[in-house]
Order: sequence, then C-alpha cells, then structure tokens
Amino acid sequence: MKVSLNWLKDYLDVSGTDEEISDTLTALGLEASFENTGKSFTGIVLGKVIECGPHKNADKLSVCEVDIGEGEIQSIVCGAPNVKSGIQVPVAKVGATLNNGEFKIKQAKLRGVVSHGMICSERELAISDEHEGIMVLDTKAKLGTPIEEILTFKEDTLFEIDLTPNRGDCLSHLGVARELGIGSNVDVKQRAVDLNESTIPTSNEIKVTIADKDGCPRYAARVVKGVKVGPSPKWLVDRLASIGQSSINNIVDAANYVLMDFGHPMHTFDLDSISGNEIIVRYAKNGEKFTTLDDEQRDLKDFHLLICDGERPIALAGIMGGANSEIADGTTNILIESAYFSPTVVRKGAKVLDLSTEASRRFERDTDMDGIISAINQLAALIVDVAGGEICNGVVDEYPAEKKQRTFDFSLEKCEALLGTPISEKQIETIFKSLQIVYENKNGSFQCTIPTFRNDLEREVDLYEEVARVIGYDNIPSSAQFTGSYNSFVEDEQKLDSLLRVQLQSLGFHEHYSNSLQHEKDTLHFAGGEAVQLKNPLSQDMAFIRNSIIPGILMAASHNEKRQEKGFKLFEIGAIHNQSKKSTTGSKEKFHLGLLWYGVSQSHWRNYEDRDLFRIKGEISQMLQSVGLVNISFKMGNETGFQISLKIYSGKTQIGSVGIPDNKVLKQYDLNVCPTVCDLLLHNLRELWQNRKAGYSPPPAFPSMSRDIALQVFQELPAEDLLSTIRKEGGKTLKNIALFDVYQSDDVGDNNKSLAFSLKFQSETATLTDTEVDADVEKILNSLKKAHGATQR
Amino acid sequence: MSITDQIQKIRAEFSSDLKSLSSENGALDQIRIKYLGRKGLVASLFVQMGSVGADERPKMGQVLNELKSDITAEIDNLSSVDSDSSKSVTSNIDYTLPGDPIPGGSIHPLTQVMEEIKSIFTRMGFSIAYGPEIDTDFYNFEALNIPQHHPARDMQDTFYITDNVLLRTHTSDTQIHFMENHDPPVRIIAPGRVYRNEDVSVRSYCLFHQIEGLYVDSKVTFSELKGTLDYFARELFGQNVKTRFRPSYFPFTEPSAEMDVSCIFCKAKGCGICKKTGWLEILGCGMVDPEVYKSVNYDPKKWTGFAFGMGIERMAMLKYGVQDIRLFYGGDVRFLRQF
Repeated sequence: MKVSLNWLKDYLDVSGTDEEISDTLTALGLEASFENTGKSFTGIVLGKVIECGPHKNADKLSVCEVDIGEGEIQSIVCGAPNVKSGIQVPVAKVGATLNNGEFKIKQAKLRGVVSHGMICSERELAISDEHEGIMVLDTKAKLGTPIEEILTFKEDTLFEIDLTPNRGDCLSHLGVARELGIGSNVDVKQRAVDLNESTIPTSNEIKVTIADKDGCPRYAARVVKGVKVGPSPKWLVDRLASIGQSSINNIVDAANYVLMDFGHPMHTFDLDSISGNEIIVRYAKNGEKFTTLDDEQRDLKDFHLLICDGERPIALAGIMGGANSEIADGTTNILIESAYFSPTVVRKGAKVLDLSTEASRRFERDTDMDGIISAINQLAALIVDVAGGEICNGVVDEYPAEKKQRTFDFSLEKCEALLGTPISEKQIETIFKSLQIVYENKNGSFQCTIPTFRNDLEREVDLYEEVARVIGYDNIPSSAQFTGSYNSFVEDEQKLDSLLRVQLQSLGFHEHYSNSLQHEKDTLHFAGGEAVQLKNPLSQDMAFIRNSIIPGILMAASHNEKRQEKGFKLFEIGAIHNQSKKSTTGSKEKFHLGLLWYGVSQSHWRNYEDRDLFRIKGEISQMLQSVGLVNISFKMGNETGFQISLKIYSGKTQIGSVGIPDNKVLKQYDLNVCPTVCDLLLHNLRELWQNRKAGYSPPPAFPSMSRDIALQVFQELPAEDLLSTIRKEGGKTLKNIALFDVYQSDDVGDNNKSLAFSLKFQSETATLTDTEVDADVEKILNSLKKAHGATQR
Repeated sequence: MSITDQIQKIRAEFSSDLKSLSSENGALDQIRIKYLGRKGLVASLFVQMGSVGADERPKMGQVLNELKSDITAEIDNLSSVDSDSSKSVTSNIDYTLPGDPIPGGSIHPLTQVMEEIKSIFTRMGFSIAYGPEIDTDFYNFEALNIPQHHPARDMQDTFYITDNVLLRTHTSDTQIHFMENHDPPVRIIAPGRVYRNEDVSVRSYCLFHQIEGLYVDSKVTFSELKGTLDYFARELFGQNVKTRFRPSYFPFTEPSAEMDVSCIFCKAKGCGICKKTGWLEILGCGMVDPEVYKSVNYDPKKWTGFAFGMGIERMAMLKYGVQDIRLFYGGDVRFLRQF
C-alpha cells in the first residue's frame, strides 16, 4: 500500500520527520518504509544553447556553448540526439547534485574535450522516465534561473506500508491517517461532502433487488446524469501520480481517487447500457460465462456473485466490472454502486479465477458496512466536480440484513494479567477514545462498542492487543525472570542425530541438505515404496516427495564431479515419505541417514587411505560403535538400484545397506566415477540407541592367549559365514577375531582360498590354560569343517 | 617339507641375508619384515602348527619360539649398532615432507544454527518436539485459527497432496500435535522442515527450516514473552544487541508481534543489509490465541501462553553473510567445507 504524505495532510496535521512518521506507523503494526519524491537535485539552472558543433573524437557527441546567465558561457559535451543551437535547456552546473545528492557533477574530460557541466533529461531530474533526449524548456524566464522556479516540484514523501491481512481498514489514506492520529495524538479531520442533488429521484432511475443476501447484505446505488467523460483536472492527475497511478479518464480517476482516499471499493456503470433500469444481485450458475472488462471470458461457478441488469450479468461482484457496461468516451449517465460483499464469497471467487484486483483485495479483508453511504456520496460529488452532470435525489439503499455494531466487555484486570504490566483506567479510556471505541466503564469492566470499520476486533483478547499496541510494545517491560514447571519435560527423540553428525564430521563427511521435492524418476530406483505426489507442484522436477535419501546425495555428487572435485564424502539426515493407506495423511514418514563416498582421497606422496568397500565398512562400524551401537555385521544383499550391496545389521536388526549403485543409476545422475552409498534407517538406530544399556566391563584381571589358525576353504564361501561360526563356537572366552590374511594361489588349489584368523581368548575368572584354549580351538575347527568344509593348512 | 626342515632352511637363509646386508637405508627393516613381519617366514611356520599332531605340538612350539627369539636378537643387535654408528641415517629422512592430509568434514550451517538455538532454549527449560512434514489442513491451518477462505492463507502458499493433505507451511502444526497429546504445562521448541509453493530464487526456496516455540502455563504474560526472546537474541547475537517488538498479525496469536534486533552489521547505524533501518527482522511471536486452546481442548480461561517461530535460513544467512539461499541445498563441497 502506497501512501502520500501530502495526501495524509488532508486528514491531519502531521508533525515530525518522515522517519518519525514511519517509526510511529511501524510501532503500531503498519510496517512502513519511505522515500522522498520531491525535488531530487541542486544547482540546475536554465541555459540556452548558443552554438552546437560536432565532437572531434566522437560521432554521437556534440560540443555546445551554453549561456547560463549573466554572460557566463560554458562549454558542455552532450550526447543527446535532440540537442541543437537555440534551444533552452536545464543545465547542471559543476557542483550540482542529482538523485538526492548521490550523483555530483564535476568538470570532466569526455573523449579529450572538457565539459563544464551537463545538460539534463527529464529522467535525470526525476520528472519522468524520459531519457531519449534532453529536456527542452519553453519559458520566458531569465537565463540562469534555478529550474525549481520554472518547473514545480512538489515536496512529498511516499510511504510503502506492508499491511497484515487483518487490517483491511488501513488500505486507504483515511485508514492510515487514523492510525497516525492514534500514534501522534492528533484528531483526524472529516472530509466534507457538498452534495448538490437534482429533483429527479434516484429510485426512478434504478431499482435494486438482492436475491442472495448472504453474499451481499447491502447494496447502495446513486445516479449522476449528464456527465462528460474526458481528461481529469491536473490536481487529480497529480494526486494519483503521487502514489504511482496513471490517469485514465475523469470518471475512472474519480473512482480510483475515492478508493485510495476512503478505502471502500465502488463501481461505475454506464447507466444507459443497463437494461430494464434494474440491478439484481445473485449467484452465478455453474458454467455461466461472463466477459470482464479486461475482455477475458470467465467460466463461473455457483459461488461467484454477479451483478445483473434486467437481462444479463454486468459485473462480477467485488472483483471486476463487465465489458458490456463499462464507462466509454460517450457515456453521459452513470450508475454508482457502493455495496458490501461477503469477504469469503469474494475471496473464493477471485481465487478460483486467479484474479486479484484492488477491489477484491479490499472486500476479502472485509469492508465497512456503515461506510457505504459516505463513500458513494463522496464519489458522486467528485464526479460532478470533475466531469459535470447532476446527482439524482437520494440513495437507493437495499439493506435487507442489518448488521449490528459489535459490543463486548473488556476486563482491565485480565488485560493486565495477560500483558504483565499495570495499566490505569485513565490510560484505557484515552486508548479507547483514540481508537473510536465507545465505552461504559463499570468499575474496571468496560462495555465496548467497536467502530464498524474495525472488523478485526471481534473478541476481548483483540482489545488486549489494541491496548498493547497503543501503549507501545516497547513500553511494556521485559520480564527478566523466566520460571516454569519442569513437568513440561519430554525427551528429545532425535538426540542420537547430533552424536552421529559429530562422528561423521570427524570421519571427513560434509553434511548436505537436499531438496526433498524430486522428479518422479528419482523415486523409482531405490527400495522405498510408492512416493507421494504433489497436486500443485512448481514443476515436474519437483512433483514428488522423496522416498529415499540416496538420490539427493547422488545429485550433489554429480554437481561436485562437474566442478572438478576428485574426492569427498557426504551425508544427509532427513525424512522420506511413502504412501500408506493406514495413516490419515495417506503417507508414512521415516528418517534416514544417507552416506556417500566419492572418488579418491587427495593424492599424496605416500598412500595412507584407501576408499574401497572394506575401508567403508570400517567407517560405518566405527561411526556406529562410537555412539554405542555395537555388534555391527554385514551380509551380502541384493538391494534394488545397486550392482553390489551389503545389508548392515546391529545384532539381529537390519539397520541399513551399503553398496555401489548400478549403471542405470549412474547414468541418470550423469556420474563418471562410481560412488559408494549407504542408507541407514535412522528410525531403527534411534530406537536401538534409546534401548542401549549403558555400562562397562572391568578391565580383565587375567592374561589373554592368542591362537592363529589358517583355513583352506572353497573360494566362493563368504568370510562372514566362517566368522559367524567362529563367533558362535568360540563361546564366552573368545574375545576377539582378527582375519589377518587372505591368500589365493596354486598351492591352495584353483577353487580354494586360504584365510588366516588370529583368535584372542580371555576369561574374567581365571588364567586360561593351553589345554583349555586348545580345546576351544579344536571345537571351532571341527565346526568349521562340518559347516563349511574348511580344512586347516 | 617338514617344519623342522623348514626351520633349518630359514636359519640358513637368514645368516646369508645378514652377510649380504647392504648399507642402504632401511635394508635391515626389510629383513625384519621378511622374517618377523605379520606375514613373514616365522609367522608362516606358526600357522602350520595346526597340522602338527597334538603330542608333538608343545615341542614344536618351543623350537619355533627359539627360532623367533634368535632372529629377533640378531636383528636388534645389528640395528642398535646401526643407529650408534651413523646418526646420519635418521637425519637423511626429509621430515619436511607434508604430513598426511586428513580431510575434515563439516556440519551443515543450518544444522549449526539450529543446534545453537536449541541449546539456548533447552537451557531455559524447553524440551524438543517434532511434527510431521506431511500434515492435514486441520493441523496446519484450521486448528491454528486460519479457516478456509481466509486472507491469512495468502501469507503462505501451500503445496497440496490432496484437498485435505498438504506439506506443512510452518512448524506451528507441532503446537497442535503436541498439545493434543500432552496436558499443560507445555514448554517446547519444535525444529523442522517446512514448504512453500514459491518460485526458487536467490532469496526464497520451495522449502526451508523453522524453529517453533510454545510455552503454556497458568500465568504466562506478554512481558515474559518479551523477556525470554530478548534473552535469546542477546545470547545468539551478542549481549549488546537490542530488541524491538512491534505489532503484527498471526491468526494463532493475539496479541501478535514481530521481533527485530538491532543490526549486527552496522551496529544499528543503517546499512544495506538492514535496508537502512538499523533493525533486522528476526522472528514472529505472540500470546497463544484462545481459539487455538479450543481446538486442543485446553481451557482458555485457565491457561495462557506464548508462541514464537523463526526461520533458520534467515538466521544462517545473517550469521554467515550468505547471499544466495540456494547454496544451502546445492551440496557444493566448496561451500560446505567452509563450515
């Protein structure tokens, strides 16, 4: 909402600087910024081009001799196509400033010729956007006269106000003036209306019928006859220009002026195009067609409210008029509509047509039912003032459902309790007066009647805000005490995430946040169930909600590969969603932790870190163990989207998988180097972690014994199978198994391999003897032989 | 070849290796690895122990251990001579060669800011709660006093999944979920991801992160709201920072306020970042609207409270001076490495 300071001055005596006014409005909840729109320059005078010749070094430049008064002649370089000798122009002398002091004119050399100033265009003087050529002045003023004495530059300030949707009453100069009046303790003046009505009764000219009174509880009409459509007077053009609106014709301008001034949206019809001299307000039929005055044919629904004449619709109520009844150059008789339309009806109607107008914006935010008559009188009077004609006698005012003024009680005690600061009754009375709230004070309980333009004040609590607002939020003390009951404690279910993050950071991973809105094809690669689709996506690339954590990190990997990054590790923690019939939202949310290893570590004079799957298994185990998740094991898997994959377990619970994506995936993400990715079910990890047992074992008091065994097995037997047998058979005293050698060559046979394990035995209760340990080893060897055909080498 | 034969062969090989030992740096180390390394010749004999009959095993063990200690002793002897005679051997190593690069990782700036805010509020006794990203119209709008066809819905462009199911537009939905399942007093903050149907640009993205706060008890005041958030701002931005509260509008709070902090870049003098106002807009807050209590069956006569909400991206952009919000979601390691 743009508000002109000069316009506000019509309503109240403003004191204070622009900044103070802006601060006052902001402190009241009307977030304001401002800019000065008056004269933006200094040092510009009237000059006359005496001579104009070509520039020796530049085709497009001219060198002018300019008389700037009192016999002073300066040589100025000018690039405008319309410069010629004999014309009078605005000249910025050396030392002049433009653009509110931001640009200073200095003596300058342009392609080898010294220029003592600048001849200005309209844009440079901030008069208009015209910059095709320099401004030519037709004036009898003396050369050297300051330009502001020839052209009028009205000092003004334009406030830009960011209004919250509850304050529809402030969408006008009157509304903002009321607020400024509250903030600066100044009364707002009433605008006097001088109505000169003719003897012809309006009711002879028009009959109004409201068929659907819930959509339109009040409809008022006036008629002005014998107007002449034409250009607006200068004051009106300037007024509208001061808030950035351009002039159309006197009738339209008058309506726009009253809208911006008073805030109630009204519509003007060409009375002669209204059939049967009647207005009927009714809902549209589903599928009914109507052409609005922007010449768009609109398909209507049964919740669109229409203004119709005897035969057809002539306006879309509260949104836009129709092309068939629009004011044209030849219009002489005018019907003015000033009505109250239901905010919901207008909003629903405008929304479905994607048609937001100045009128619909205001009706949606609710308008002043009682301001209707005052608004229509102002517009009628203004039309006569700017376009001539006569106002018919009286207002046709259909008001089938009279709206009562809102009244409710206000308890000072409760207000003080909520705000946490004492307030005197006198203060409250002053505040209510400034808000135009009529009250009756019954010992601190105030019976309040709310002014009709404040539709947002519906309940007692709304008045607490008004009180706080007028006192000033900054004048309510901040309590330095913060107390509260610890009964409010609940446990943080994502506590584990922070521990994992720290661990991953020290393992060299960068945390990534990816867009959880993805293309359908991103949701098809990995096991994740059916993805949830958006009804109104921004684009097809973001039409689905991710059902796997992997695609997001693959996209990041691809992004980095294209930026010559040779090696990096990424992780992401986030929610993924699947369709689920069981839940009320039709979807299920789960948290996952995704990891990605890409490329090689930085090349270095000695090799110190491999980034193959074995290293990766180690990092995964280390990360999990460091947060207390133990018994991590891996088994071969067969996950979709992977060429090689392993399932990861903590004890018996599967907690995720790790592997190398298949070629289809690599191709889709345009990856040349194949990364390794890991998908961990964070939900499961959180649960395991919650249930983990804190505790320790005392350091062993008895020595350990080690035994090395070398096994020859069938080449394709997974090592994990041997390990799990050893684990199982080793019993309580087997504390550690290390696989220290894998060997394959002719001497173990083509289809065989040799694996060497180092076993560590230890007991908490006694020193183990050789015999005991040997017996354990024997038992292990026997089981290995039985289960896997493993022989000792 | 029996193990005994092998032992003899190794002893012979060892003494011949020692004779031909070159004076080159590390030659002795190579011998040590050959015989005593994890995969060395001696170790390979120990591996074969398993094939020896149980009755012979202890004896064989003894023999092998002798072999091992003999070889160890000889090598140790030589190496001590080695280091005594020529200190130059060690000084030949160029210790200025670069150390192993251990690349550090990073925690995302948004996480860092989120964690910092969480820690401030948990110190004030707030617990942490979470709400779902996909939610119903009821939790995201209706229960928060934002009825259908209300202009306040324009404040948040929404992604819909069905007419009734949506991607939440704010973490305020968690207020409702939490109050439905817990009796007062309530003191939570709720971080999470939220979505807005807005074109992606330098200043806005289709999703971002928020932290919601909610405190409900029997006598909570607006003055406490101010005090709490004022403390929060000083802890997050520095203790000399000033706060300003001004009226605003959220359908689920009444009175509603917007909190600004004095610009941390120009010390409130006015600069490009604060648009010359000297103030930075930080969060929205207010006293919980009685309508909200009604939707969760709290008695509005008995309970009062305050709520607040802030955008993590905005805080992070201010804190690190990030100009383009999209950098947070691009996964560019050149960006991430810096945090």
